[in-house]
Amino acid sequence: MNTYYLGIDIGSVSTNLVLLDKHSKIYKKLYIRTQGQPINALKEGLKTLKQDFSENFKIAGVGTTGSGRQLGAVIVGADIIKNEITAHAVAALDYCPDVRTILEIGGQDSKIIIIKDGIVYDFAMNTVCAAGTGSFLDRQASRLGIPIQEFGKYALKSTTPVRIAGRCAVFAESDMIHKQQTGQNIEDIINGLCEALVRNYLNNLGKGKEILEPILFQGGVAANIGIVKAFEKELGKKIIIPEYFDVMGAVGAAILAKEKVMKTEKTNFYGFDLINREYKARSFECQDCSNICEVVEILSDSEPVARWGDRCGKWNVIENRSETSA
Amino acid sequence: MAIKVGIPRALLYYEYYPMWRTFLEELKVEVVLSDKTTKPILNDGVRHCVDEACLPVKLFHGHVMNIKDKVDYLFVPRLKSVAKSEYICPKFCGLPEMVKYSMSDLPPIIDSEVNLRKSKSQLYQSFYRVGKLFSNNTYEIKKAYHNALKKQAEFINQVRQGKYPIEIIENQKIYANGKENLCIALIGHVYNIYDQYISMDILSKLCQQGIKVITPELLNEEMIEYKANCLPKKMFWSFGKRLMGSILHLLDMDNIDGIIYIMSFGCGIDAFVSDLCERKIRREKNLPFFLLTLDEHSGEAGVNTRLEAFIDMIRWRNRNESNISVHG
Repeated sequence: MNTYYLGIDIGSVSTNLVLLDKHSKIYKKLYIRTQGQPINALKEGLKTLKQDFSENFKIAGVGTTGSGRQLGAVIVGADIIKNEITAHAVAALDYCPDVRTILEIGGQDSKIIIIKDGIVYDFAMNTVCAAGTGSFLDRQASRLGIPIQEFGKYALKSTTPVRIAGRCAVFAESDMIHKQQTGQNIEDIINGLCEALVRNYLNNLGKGKEILEPILFQGGVAANIGIVKAFEKELGKKIIIPEYFDVMGAVGAAILAKEKVMKTEKTNFYGFDLINREYKARSFECQDCSNICEVVEILSDSEPVARWGDRCGKWNVIENRSETSA
Repeated sequence: MAIKVGIPRALLYYEYYPMWRTFLEELKVEVVLSDKTTKPILNDGVRHCVDEACLPVKLFHGHVMNIKDKVDYLFVPRLKSVAKSEYICPKFCGLPEMVKYSMSDLPPIIDSEVNLRKSKSQLYQSFYRVGKLFSNNTYEIKKAYHNALKKQAEFINQVRQGKYPIEIIENQKIYANGKENLCIALIGHVYNIYDQYISMDILSKLCQQGIKVITPELLNEEMIEYKANCLPKKMFWSFGKRLMGSILHLLDMDNIDGIIYIMSFGCGIDAFVSDLCERKIRREKNLPFFLLTLDEHSGEAGVNTRLEAFIDMIRWRNRNESNISVHG
């Protein structure tokens, strides 16, 4: 019977699942659009994974990451919950042990991770603003009626540079519309946008950091060849796109799960039966004090399995937690 | 019945409350504090303040709303300068006006000016103007003033011995497990660090994870002053100088594992002080550093992810130095 480690990365735009075998090789990967419904995306992913198997197999460990990592962990029973930065770094180091710089642009976040001597030495993450991330590109692609897969290719066809303001997504969009209305070429505008986003990224996140080679580019946006070329042009260096660039967070989570399970020698995974359970998330405002916390409650077959969001911690405790879910 | 004076629990409350309270109470005035920051207080502040202001100033407005109907006077001193040849952020100079013209039905505002730019001796005058409202006895006001200064000195002393200001003024213990194996400096303005709602209680979050947290207030003031004066140009913002001097002082210490700088969105001083700090840190020691920007967000996920990753990184770095094992 084959044993696999499951890595789950629940992001704002996509939910990614990865199965890693004993030798940390990727056996299977799934990239599903979250579409604002992380629970459904996760269940759908697990269902697909299960259907694809004809052989007998076992999940030996599960790790979750991404902004929905807590939620995912509650639903599947994770062995380890890790932040995206650590997960991405772990996966990148596994792919390329000499890596010095990791550029990662996801749906809502962008990060730069500096590696020195095989460890995370420094990192930066976008602050309060999501300009230049995947969701913004997504929006622009659909506004222009271009499939997001084709978006980067348009940029490559550009002949004349057009400068777009990249500091803020709102400004960038109005600048793009303005350039469109004056009759500029769509290819040139898209290329200008790619360059603007790269400039913004390097000014914000790359500020004061030495970007050394090898440079890995991960996250969904790495599929955009226009952005990749803009990075290479701006940095004057070669950018490496790992084979599984779009699921590197999940790969990192799976590797971390493997390491964790090797220590604990057991997994918390609830098993694939969980796809038959009904999961619901609801939230309410706790009125017990003036903090008025927004408490989120996760229900499994209308039985609460987790709550968070309260400052005092009293909702965290779930009494008589049923063992049947294990 | 005693006259009630309301002090909003915001901005420099975290710095000067012991002094203010002692002075007013010595003059038989009842001091009323606004509630601790909550979502409704923040919402009120955002609604009643000019849009351009920074988050802490907006929050101050919320706290004014919270107590305005419970008191006879509102205490909003006009703090222009608290040290020789230095200034406080301009928003503090105009705070009484901002409050007055942003909200209606306010009780009378005590907006005595504090301006010690030329000389420290002006401080008594500032207190005297407040005291005159409640007493005709000059001797009594003078006594209250001296006791207030004494109380403030005691407070500063306690902080230097390792107590966080909120542990003293709000009598609230910050949990520490006593087995600290990391030491992180948390740098930022008092009203950002110690307001547990706005800062999403980063102080406690760090302490609970077995991290010793050093804030600028805990450091030796003379050293901060000395280090800040080493800069090529004198920094004339009092609080910016404290933050900058703290960072330079921390860079001389051996046991600091990382520095977190908390700034609020829209803060003019932090906008360049934080950048200057980052450059100094990277050039001189390359300690792990990260800048956290606070705004009206109530989602903690973003802050938690960054904190988690930062601590992971430090532990990973430290482990690597002692050659134990890899990540985990």
